[in-house]
Amino acid sequence: MSVLPFLNWLGSSALANAMNGPEWAFPVVECFHFFGFALLIGTIAIVDLRLLGGGMRRQSPAELTQDLKPWTLSGLALMLTTGPAMFAADPKVYYFNPSFRFKIACLLVAILYHFTVLRRAVKPDVPPVVGKLAAVISLALWIAVVGGGRMIAFV
Amino acid sequence: MSLLSTCEWIQNTDLSTAIREGALYYPIIGGVHLLAIALFGGMLLAVDIRLLGWGMQRRAVSDVVGQLRAWKRFGFVVVVASGALLGWAEPLKLYHSKSFWIKMALLLMVGVHALVFRKTVYGNSTRLDEAPLMPSVAKLAAVLSLILWAGLVLSGRLIAFDA
Repeated sequence: MSVLPFLNWLGSSALANAMNGPEWAFPVVECFHFFGFALLIGTIAIVDLRLLGGGMRRQSPAELTQDLKPWTLSGLALMLTTGPAMFAADPKVYYFNPSFRFKIACLLVAILYHFTVLRRAVKPDVPPVVGKLAAVISLALWIAVVGGGRMIAFV
Repeated sequence: MSLLSTCEWIQNTDLSTAIREGALYYPIIGGVHLLAIALFGGMLLAVDIRLLGWGMQRRAVSDVVGQLRAWKRFGFVVVVASGALLGWAEPLKLYHSKSFWIKMALLLMVGVHALVFRKTVYGNSTRLDEAPLMPSVAKLAAVLSLILWAGLVLSGRLIAFDA
């Protein structure tokens, strides 16, 4: 089964028409994408920085994860709605863009990593060095996602 | 020297040409700019969420404001520095861009916001810990900071769509 019929269908869907309609539609949706990643990556960074021994040191990593969870998830939800909408604006161009593929690969790993490894790394019985390593990998993954996204327009 | 001729002078500097014409400088600086928006914005969102009572209610206001301050400032410095480099690359385009001037006006208001609310909110967080209810001035500061930040992102993005 080929993915091309799906891309063609998506590219002529009502969503694609809306995104390609008024000139401001795409940049405005993109800004909400930015708001989403500031929430998502900002709240994850607070936890990662804490694991590295900086930022909110009076709280434990587990407490911060719990405190910020609703906002991390809101950010993720905003990203995962605005992102596909932007994809729909020009599905074939994105699908064949190497930077886009890199970004999506990093994103899948980053999400999976976040809900498996990082969720465990914040627990109090984890040795600090393991927590630090987990935080560095988390930051690197999210930086790769943003960097890959930025490069889409340049490759 | 007029503003326009200053822009022309900047546009002709080696640094401006290098960023504008190098294949990698512009997207890399743009990527750093975006990441710093996320860092600055993320810290700002966390502080505003606490001031508005939308989250982290079990943490003292002074804990959230005080401990994130350094990272918020770091994010702000990086976002301004990378933004300045991006601007240095194409000053003539920016000179003629309405969105750019809206963005600069908003940036000026960020400075005004910081000065106005420093005494009552951001530099006063231990007093906010003791207040039985979050004072409306703190909530106002949080709402305005969210609006300013969102406005900066929007106007920045729209620069690319100005002729």
